Amino acid sequence: MKAFVALVHRELIEHRGAFLLGPLLLVAILLGATILAFTVGRVDARFSGAMLTVAPLRIYEMGFLGFGIGWALYLMATLFFYAADGFAADKRNNAMLFWKSMPVGDFKVLLSKLTAAITLLPGTVYAVALLSGLLLYGVAYVTMLINGTGTVAALGGIGMVYLHVALAILVSFAVGLVWYLPYLALIGGLATAIGRWAIPVSLVLPAIVSTLEWVTLGGLHPFSTRTWDYLSYRSSFPSIEDGYLDAWFTGPDSFNALLYATDLLNRVDWTQVGIGAVFSLAVLYLGSEYRRRSNDN
Amino acid sequence: MTELSTAPLPESGEPIVSARGLRKSFGRKEILHGLDFDIPAGRIYGLIGHNGAGKTTTLNAMLGLTNCEGTIRVLGEDPFARRARLMENVAFISDVASLPRFLRVRELFALLTNIHPNFSQDKARSFLEGTDIRPEMKIKQLSKGMIAQLHLAVVMAIDAKLLVLDEPTLGLDITYRKRFYRRLLEDYMTEERTLLITTHQVDEIEFMLSDIMFIRDGELILHMQMETVNDKFTQLVVNDPGQQQAARAHGPVYEETRFGQTVMIFDGVDRGVLEPFGTLSTPTLSDLFVALMQRPTANPETAR
Repeated sequence: MKAFVALVHRELIEHRGAFLLGPLLLVAILLGATILAFTVGRVDARFSGAMLTVAPLRIYEMGFLGFGIGWALYLMATLFFYAADGFAADKRNNAMLFWKSMPVGDFKVLLSKLTAAITLLPGTVYAVALLSGLLLYGVAYVTMLINGTGTVAALGGIGMVYLHVALAILVSFAVGLVWYLPYLALIGGLATAIGRWAIPVSLVLPAIVSTLEWVTLGGLHPFSTRTWDYLSYRSSFPSIEDGYLDAWFTGPDSFNALLYATDLLNRVDWTQVGIGAVFSLAVLYLGSEYRRRSNDN
Repeated sequence: MTELSTAPLPESGEPIVSARGLRKSFGRKEILHGLDFDIPAGRIYGLIGHNGAGKTTTLNAMLGLTNCEGTIRVLGEDPFARRARLMENVAFISDVASLPRFLRVRELFALLTNIHPNFSQDKARSFLEGTDIRPEMKIKQLSKGMIAQLHLAVVMAIDAKLLVLDEPTLGLDITYRKRFYRRLLEDYMTEERTLLITTHQVDEIEFMLSDIMFIRDGELILHMQMETVNDKFTQLVVNDPGQQQAARAHGPVYEETRFGQTVMIFDGVDRGVLEPFGTLSTPTLSDLFVALMQRPTANPETAR
């Protein structure tokens, strides 16, 4: 287990640019731009503070949730590239033979990469997301103070909003990661064999499989097959429509992370998650068998 | 040209490596043609051969990096089936440039401490004392020689029973090469450890070898202890044409002309018989390599 944890850790060291330094840089740029905007008068602190007094908690909620969506998009993009690049990194870095001189099997190595992709790496982005929310709230509260509307009671309310949104982002990240796990595994498995070519191949693969089904089993057109319908279903995040978010957005109540999490977890097709996990392990196994037989350094 | 001699096993224990009928093909081309050999514990082996002779494939078979026909056992295990487990007791350098370049030296040591149960960070750090390598340095910023030093420190810090080095000093200057091998002998080798080296700089490792294996076109053509090599092969330098003719009657395995002198190498001919013809000596490994390894397609000057 110690070796496995170390292998997961090495993924963070190797990809800290994308998952730690890059996000921190984004936050720094965003914070710098915000401070600059206030400093040069592009945004009026009094007006901003006054805005927050209209519907203070709703703005705090939406602001941080907006950040959460932004960070989720960032995470999806970086994980996609990580799977295509990280699973082939040992070969690309000329380090394959070094890692093969270690007493760890190829399946364990690939499993550590996939584990990193759904734990430590998104965990790092999540930590930066929390930091960005903290800074957002800090700046917003300072403008409230400048406006004279910042109070200790307001600060308590803001703190609760922060906790609720932070929990919602955490649950969303977790659900998204287990839901999209088979995609990550598939891209990673492909990358083990064909390197970064896994990026274009994984993009055209659904169309190829769907076309093959249309050719062999029939259908209106290549994008009207069971394969395409299934992949469309598996590509959609579970809570998009008619969920708690819609109700909260149009209603007067403040955001409740527990209600959001309950709603989201109820919408997840856990059978599909289980199938996805089995599929992921199978793909990893095939990838590891390829890697085991390949000595490209 | 030369009969295969097998190194006798020591009285004690199983061989560290044992191969029987080892074959490997890439597509239709067979690279290894049924190798049979045993490598006993506590020896320093040199595996010597031309480019493409099958050295690396043989090593890869030992290290579980490739699957072969026939049987190969390393420390009693099938290396391809049990590579991960085997690597607890086997260390190797297959390419000195293979250290992960994104790591700092201290990060590498910290990871290895957790990944390899027989790796000692203290030993690795002590092996780096006296070098210019510092823990905070990134591996990608190290020179080629420093990377070789670091890689050697890493494998020497692993308490392994078998150490395999495949061209470990490729591309290094002579100073680094000599330091590399001296360090290996002084700080690592014990009676319990076995070392297997392949290199093209044969003369640089000759002093440390206990056994030699020559591989040519996927076949072992020589496998014997160095003491036996010294007893078995004789080099004769002869100038007189009449003496040359007489010496040829004893069947040299190789003959060439160097600076106007004729040099012959004999296999298994009594030195007393050859002494009257000229000056006798033991051939160096590189001379023996040239004598036994030349192929008509690569070098038309074959033994007459």
